Amino acid sequence: MTETENNLKPRIGVFSLTGCAGDQLMILNLEDTLIELLSKFDIKSFQEASSYSENTNLDIAFVEGSVSTEHDLKTLKNIREKSSLLIAIGDCAVNGCVQAMRNKQTSIAERMIDVYGVEDNIYKTFEPKGVGEYVKVDFEIPGCPIEKEEALNALISLLNGDAPLIPDYPVCVECKLNGYPCVIIEEGKPCLGPIITAGCDARCPGLGLDCVGCRGPIKGETNAKAELEALRKRGYADKYIINRLRFFAGNFDDIQILGVKENSKGDK
Amino acid sequence: MYKKLFKEDLEQFTSTLKQFGSIYGPVKKTSRGCEFTELTDFKDLQLNYTRTMIPPKKFFLKPKEPLYSLNKDAGFKEIIDDSKTVLLGVHSCDINALNLLDRVYLNQFPDLHYKTRRENTIIIGVSCEPDDYCFCTSTGSSHALKGFDLFLHEISDSYIVRVGSMKGFQIITQNKHIIKNPSLTDIKEFKEYEAERLSKITLNLNVNGIQDILDLSFDHAVWQENADICFGCGSCNLVCPTCRCYDVIDYLKLDLKNGLKVRRWDSCMLKQHALVAGGLNFRPTRVERLYNRFNCKMSCSEDSLNCVGCGRCTVYCPADINFVEVLKQVRED
Ligand code: SF4
Ligand code: SF4
Ligand code: SF4
Ligand code: SF4
Repeated sequence: MTETENNLKPRIGVFSLTGCAGDQLMILNLEDTLIELLSKFDIKSFQEASSYSENTNLDIAFVEGSVSTEHDLKTLKNIREKSSLLIAIGDCAVNGCVQAMRNKQTSIAERMIDVYGVEDNIYKTFEPKGVGEYVKVDFEIPGCPIEKEEALNALISLLNGDAPLIPDYPVCVECKLNGYPCVIIEEGKPCLGPIITAGCDARCPGLGLDCVGCRGPIKGETNAKAELEALRKRGYADKYIINRLRFFAGNFDDIQILGVKENSKGDK
Repeated sequence: MYKKLFKEDLEQFTSTLKQFGSIYGPVKKTSRGCEFTELTDFKDLQLNYTRTMIPPKKFFLKPKEPLYSLNKDAGFKEIIDDSKTVLLGVHSCDINALNLLDRVYLNQFPDLHYKTRRENTIIIGVSCEPDDYCFCTSTGSSHALKGFDLFLHEISDSYIVRVGSMKGFQIITQNKHIIKNPSLTDIKEFKEYEAERLSKITLNLNVNGIQDILDLSFDHAVWQENADICFGCGSCNLVCPTCRCYDVIDYLKLDLKNGLKVRRWDSCMLKQHALVAGGLNFRPTRVERLYNRFNCKMSCSEDSLNCVGCGRCTVYCPADINFVEVLKQVRED
């Protein structure tokens, strides 16, 4: 490949903050198309794929992981400054994910004591949040982890100069399109699908399981109170429902107000 | 034309349908009931069922279907499914719903995909088993006058077979040896069975002048009350046999040259349904969307409603929003 050909390719970087690297792995899991896919980009940084890394300006930065330390925040701000587009990949980067489940419920000091036995905030952590809390995010690809097909389609859209298509409707839509029986209606299971962003092709209900909400609530569209009501009616206790909602969505205001004061540590 | 088929001959009758295409019929899927499924074993066929979650609309306007393959140099190429299909065991409400869809997809600007599926599908109706959610007598859809090839009206030991098309007549002719003529006793039974079936439909919705009432009730409190408990999940539209809205999505391949144009069912309860170019959403709130849905279902085209009273939207709403109850509250009668 010549230098000019390489110069025409979008310069990209894939970065990690606090997370499990699962979203980067999902991109690498696109085995059938990976070589062709990666050859379309000029990759300046991709932690999970290569130790090579160049601190340079980028056309697109993909960021996974939540912001939970000062170091994360510094890294994020540096990425934002150097990139034309910043795309949050995975729930951690989109809304904080499981790290945020106790936000506004348990203090950092309490968490330090529980986990490390000391009150001192030795790692300089703060309540985990999505990257959008701190910098401008151009697109979000939800999922824990992201769906590789969705990621591939997003990358193709970007290459073609289009905005990636991310669903803004709930999992129920995909249940219906697939003809999957509704586990709330048929079996009274505590499905969170009605408020959770689609895109997984209703994987769990397709297996007869209730959606636990791993793709996060739909921003601006989530009727958390209705979910609480629907599950109450089916005999679930508030504490159980709120914990379940908080699992992937501790940072959502309308979920926090369902039970702000409750310290449900140890509750089953 | 009316004929008669003994229940004990149904298996043989069904096997002769194979020559007209793959047979799909109601097969038990969940605690609640049946779904239209390809019939591999006659024993799976369950003609006595109440309602499927997904209506037989799925065979004509598919939930997700590729419309065209795209190539930047060669252009579009239609992807047409012209496989032969027999739908066995379709209820009157669902047949009436297909007749409504025909007006949208066949009149004026025929939709090639829908039209091809319609022309390649044989529809055999069957009498239904109503429950407390059915209100088809209110919407005028408890009986199908057209839109089927054959209709099987159940009586004690047989079916009174109503012939609805030339194809239906052809099927009857091919089954001459098992097709009989109904006797006077059969006709008496037919009346009793029909009366019995209709007597089970007790839910009633007064639709007289409902369009005016809805037009004048945009500010009624009932919309906000229900919007507050509604998820905007779209289930109500996606199980409705008369909802006809779809969305079209282009999927490009990595070579940026080839791709696929796909359509999928849409729902006006979803935010993006009313989103247009430039970012304007003309139904930005859930309450506006809810009002629109009820309005659309109760609006009239060529003298019939866009609702056939099947009850699905109520049964499959995770928030338990009751379609008939909401309309009764708006009517205040
Ligand atoms: S199973 Fe869950 S996601 Fe699927 S339709 Fe029912 S509530 Fe919605
Ligand atoms: S099915 Fe029920 S909760 Fe879902 S959009 Fe329709 S009315 Fe709302
Ligand atoms: S609006 Fe409801 S009752 Fe009427 S046809 Fe649609 S799903 Fe059936
Ligand atoms: S009710 Fe909504 S989804 Fe159904 S046909 Fe009318 S506008 Fe379309």
